[in-house]
Amino acid sequence: MSAFSTPTAANPRPRNRPARYILAVVIGAVVLLVVAGNSLLDYVFIDTIPGRATLYGLVAVALIALGTYIQARAFNRDAVTRRRHLIRAGVLLGLAAMLWLLISDLFLFAESAGPGVAAVCALACVPTTAFGLWVVRRIDRNEKEPWRLVLVAAAWGAVVATSLVIWAETFWDAVAVNTLVPGPGLDASNAFSAGMFEELGKGVAVLLLFLVMRNEFDDVVDGIVYGAAVGLGFNFMETITYMTNLYAILSPEGSGGIAAGFQWYARQVLGLFMGHATYTALIGAGIGIARQLPSRRQKVIAILTGFLVAIAAHFSWDAWLTFFPIETSLFGLVEVHLRTIVMTGPFTAAVIVLLVMGLRNESRALYEQLHKEAGGGAGAVLPAEVDILASPWRRFGERLRALDKGGLGAYVRLARLQTAQLDLAMERWHRERQEIDTPLEAEQELRGEILTLRRQAAF
Amino acid sequence: MVVGVSDPVRTLYRTLLAYGAFAILILIAGVAEYVHFEPFTSSASVHAKAVGVYAYDPATKQTSGPDRERFARNEEFAAVVDWSGLPDNITVEAVWFDSFENVVGSVGPGTPSQLRSQTIVPAEVPQGLKYHLPGEYIFAIERLDNGRPVEVIGRRVVYVER
Repeated sequence: MSAFSTPTAANPRPRNRPARYILAVVIGAVVLLVVAGNSLLDYVFIDTIPGRATLYGLVAVALIALGTYIQARAFNRDAVTRRRHLIRAGVLLGLAAMLWLLISDLFLFAESAGPGVAAVCALACVPTTAFGLWVVRRIDRNEKEPWRLVLVAAAWGAVVATSLVIWAETFWDAVAVNTLVPGPGLDASNAFSAGMFEELGKGVAVLLLFLVMRNEFDDVVDGIVYGAAVGLGFNFMETITYMTNLYAILSPEGSGGIAAGFQWYARQVLGLFMGHATYTALIGAGIGIARQLPSRRQKVIAILTGFLVAIAAHFSWDAWLTFFPIETSLFGLVEVHLRTIVMTGPFTAAVIVLLVMGLRNESRALYEQLHKEAGGGAGAVLPAEVDILASPWRRFGERLRALDKGGLGAYVRLARLQTAQLDLAMERWHRERQEIDTPLEAEQELRGEILTLRRQAAF
Repeated sequence: MVVGVSDPVRTLYRTLLAYGAFAILILIAGVAEYVHFEPFTSSASVHAKAVGVYAYDPATKQTSGPDRERFARNEEFAAVVDWSGLPDNITVEAVWFDSFENVVGSVGPGTPSQLRSQTIVPAEVPQGLKYHLPGEYIFAIERLDNGRPVEVIGRRVVYVER
């Protein structure tokens, strides 16, 4: 069959939106209702600083929800409409971020340590978190996720998930402190609270991306990338909270700076990939595996298992941290590292195992699809390009060659061509597995785009 | 759906399920820990009276002023317990926990009659620090069973301001 014939689509796009969009809207609505309800209850009954912050933060959450919706609408549109939607979404998300930071500074960070310290803490966390996001995006060596989605994931982790957690944990803590015996029982209770609420809050972001951005959510690798990005965003905000809080507590004793610096090191260097990034990556792995499973039952089990593993991993750290006390001597520095490696390392290793398996599956499948596409003779992928496209290093080598011959423009044009060719192979892979709901015509459009890009990239 | 026996996604799925089984073991261990330290069937139906939390003078070891819920970091404070209403066949202790859950003051354990003379329980500044840590302080009067706290029979929560 010629690649340019027009057969019936394998899975024609339904006339209405797929059911998963409805599910996404329901989940989004539930999140907003929980957010609104929690904040009002907190404000009325607890009236703590988080209570006030979260009430005023509702506006930021609403802006983020609207911005994300508009951004999701931008896809599959013509270039002009897409640009307009993306600009609107960007403005709304930017406003939300600024509003939230303002609220956070006023009611959480600035109140405890002052705006100057809060700003220094936030600035200290920017390069490390940015590095984390860069690494996480790079590990998807075959088809990197768009920066805008990676950043949306991180923003959800930093702003929405932390907000959900403040409300839920404040309630849980208020009840636990007034009913339980202080000690290991209370620690276990708080660890369950942190594990459940924080992982649910973060995981909802990955789930929504899975439901709404299916074209950019291919497999377990993508799930791990988005999950880790959400976790890094959450870790960013949590680090600032801990740094400012400990600074405020210990600065009258003369050790505020050291305490804040230690928190930065523990969370932004030692635990950058091990804590929240690992936990949410496990959720993402579950969702990514579900993406490619055949039955709905298996999909649900995979998603729930991802959440379960993340909750257990998070719980084990919070509940059993006290079983690994740190000495105040110099050996304490070694113990801090050992504790993190021993307690969180196995879960990070578990993510790496899934990642390596996923990358291997993906590479094998892409090679096979590139080979088939080249054999079809449509010209989107040439036989000589298959081995190059299948290897990240050889792709990079080709781009460097283009840079050498035609400058930066040639490099960018070739990168676009390679990305489109890999997109096509990915599309073919999903279609072969019957796990795609875009019509076959979309694949043919992509071939046309590739031919245009090839002409532009010629040097 | 093209998912055969050799489908590598199935291998991923099975690996995830294996992780899930391990996660269930962790959570079961957590529930067991919780139940061990917070047994559901241990209520002795007794209640101790924490009379109040007052400003405290370490020199005279006496409290002064009204019952309060908030203190400054540089203020000394202590709880006053009335042990008189408790039966003498139980073992109790009174403990101050700071905002990091460290024990920063206690009396006991002993029977209520043994502790009758120790009605004032000061919250102490941790060693190496000049002031109290800010945050929520819990004063718990605990009933012990086999040397382990199993029930809080009286409680006060005070807030140390920043």
